[in-house]
Amino acid sequence: MSHYWPLTVISMKMYFRNRQGIFWALFFPFLIMIIFGLLDFGGFNAPDIGIDDRAGNSASKSLIEKLQGSGDDPILVISRGIESTLLAELDDGDLDAVFVIPEGFAQPGRRSTVRVTTDARKPQASGVAVVVLSDSLENLFQEMATVPDEFLIGSRFDIDQATIEGQDQGFKGFLVPGIAAMAIMQGGIFGVVFTLVRFRAQGVLRRLFATPISPAHFLVGQVITRLTISVLQAYILLAVGALVLGVSIGGSPAAWLSMTLLAVLGGALFISLGLAISGMAKTEDVAAPVSNVIALPMMFLSGVFFPVDSLPDTVARVTQYLPLTYLADGMRAAALEGAGVTSLGPEFLGLALWTALMFIVATRTFRWE
Amino acid sequence: MEQRVNKAAGNSYVIEVENLVKRYDDLTAVNGISFNVRRGEVFGLLGPNGAGKTTTVEILEGMRKADSGTAFIDGIDVGRQPKRVKSIIGVQLQSAQFFDHLKLTEIVSLFGTLYGKKVDANDLLERVNLEEKAGSYYAPLSGGQKQRLSIAVALVNDPVVLFLDEPTTGLDPQARRHMWQLIKSIQDEGTTVVLTTHYMEEAEELCDRVAVMDSGSIIRMDTPDTLVEELLATGFTHDRQPKLANLEDVFISLTGRSLRDE
Ligand SMILES: Nc1ncnc2c1ncn2[C@@H]1O[C@H](COP(=O)(O)OP(=O)(O)OP(=O)(O)O)[C@@H](O)[C@H]1O
Ligand SMILES: [Mg+2]
Repeated sequence: MSHYWPLTVISMKMYFRNRQGIFWALFFPFLIMIIFGLLDFGGFNAPDIGIDDRAGNSASKSLIEKLQGSGDDPILVISRGIESTLLAELDDGDLDAVFVIPEGFAQPGRRSTVRVTTDARKPQASGVAVVVLSDSLENLFQEMATVPDEFLIGSRFDIDQATIEGQDQGFKGFLVPGIAAMAIMQGGIFGVVFTLVRFRAQGVLRRLFATPISPAHFLVGQVITRLTISVLQAYILLAVGALVLGVSIGGSPAAWLSMTLLAVLGGALFISLGLAISGMAKTEDVAAPVSNVIALPMMFLSGVFFPVDSLPDTVARVTQYLPLTYLADGMRAAALEGAGVTSLGPEFLGLALWTALMFIVATRTFRWE
Repeated sequence: MEQRVNKAAGNSYVIEVENLVKRYDDLTAVNGISFNVRRGEVFGLLGPNGAGKTTTVEILEGMRKADSGTAFIDGIDVGRQPKRVKSIIGVQLQSAQFFDHLKLTEIVSLFGTLYGKKVDANDLLERVNLEEKAGSYYAPLSGGQKQRLSIAVALVNDPVVLFLDEPTTGLDPQARRHMWQLIKSIQDEGTTVVLTTHYMEEAEELCDRVAVMDSGSIIRMDTPDTLVEELLATGFTHDRQPKLANLEDVFISLTGRSLRDE
């Protein structure tokens, strides 16, 4: 027991003295986060609009057709429902705007006021939705009018716009916890693989093997160091997401507890995976490419940059069980929805099973030389 | 000295090796060797590259498993209780480094704790003449300094036997002589030393007895003096009469005896 502590202190010292190593470990995820966050890839989709059609007449049908557009790619993606449910969906972030078409829409002698509710968090999508709506209304009334009369058309419809502050944090909100999860994976796998490869190549591990300690003594120190780093890294990236990209993170202490535990468990998982890789790789030259072959596909298949359910069904059925998927999903739920530990059962279970498996492989394959 | 009494206790042979065999696939690296090492002596393992010196030493250090045969260190069976053996021996490996981002005092103390000992790192560093480097990092040390550090580390547990695998390879003549002094002082304290080397002059200077290995077998074992006398008795002479000084003496007299890598 007494051997664990000095080796832990020493491995911490070694890590924190390696300033360049720390810089790059943080810089890469930071860079990805800023690039993707600023480009805001999530904003290029056609806005999702919920419509409550209270008129149900031919004019409202033709308005909806115009809103959808005629091409293969709809201008707006329309779903129908009643106002109260649509507003709830808007609040959850499933919709970008809600239109309510009034009873008696476009009947002669009446002013038609279309009520629009948009999400203040999604200015781009809301803007597109309102512009498309007013264009379509103008078109519709122009077609219906027997005598084109600018003044008359203008006076026959109105758009009454309101905004709400939805729960959804858009693509940036999706991205930030995902990147934190990715950084935990990268730090775990690559940090361990490169450290062990170097130690093994230098014969440092053989020198330790000449002392009466067991591998566990050495490994525990490494793992504790890495876990500390993993948690710090997650905090820093979430903070950057909050301060630079304006994503609001966590909120409750329960959510922060979830994020911390996720970082610890995720860290343990990927550290074990790194140990397993460095144990199984026959030579130093193989360890790095093997790490890449494992880490890179996971980065794209585990919902770091886009949701897993946007993948083809057959692929998604498999990738939902990937270790990084559990970590990214858990981080996202805790960071954005404030999920506590108890509501993250499946994620914690998935991570725990993977960790146990990887730990067994890691201890079985560990070599001093 | 109390410690000296301790080290001299028990059997007069501190290392007993019998019929040790080690195979790698179809190569027999160590082919049934037997030898004993007396307490307090400096024992040399000589032999060309690939003779099996390192393999032999690493079996004795508990780092490799022999395929057959037995080895005891201070009465402990290395094959059965490698950890107990590791805790009483000191080891300097042929090509092992230490942690780059640690200071020398930290490295020495760390290894002390791995043996469950509190050590005075500065004291040990002083013994190997590294006191001036105590606070610097490992990475920028010169080759000679690294070798001396590895000896300081090998001494942290006050070992019964110290294993040195080519401790002077790559050192300049000054550093090599300095290392000889160090090894002699370690022997003077009662520590048994097992040494491998490719420098015959070094073996002659340091070793009480040497074993000459070739292709995994010990082909001859005795004191350096006896081995030389035996050769001379066969009528051996140099083609050229050796001079009373050689180029190494010239080198030392030109560059002085003091260490250069400070
Ligand atoms: N892990 C190993 N796997 C396979 N063969 C090995 C291994 N270690 C050593 N050998 C072989 O065993 C033989 C003896 O090697 P060893 O290192 O003991 O020689 P040595 O006498 O120390 O040589 P040197 O003077 O070059 O250090 C060599 O032929 C070497 O290639
Ligand atoms: Mg050797």
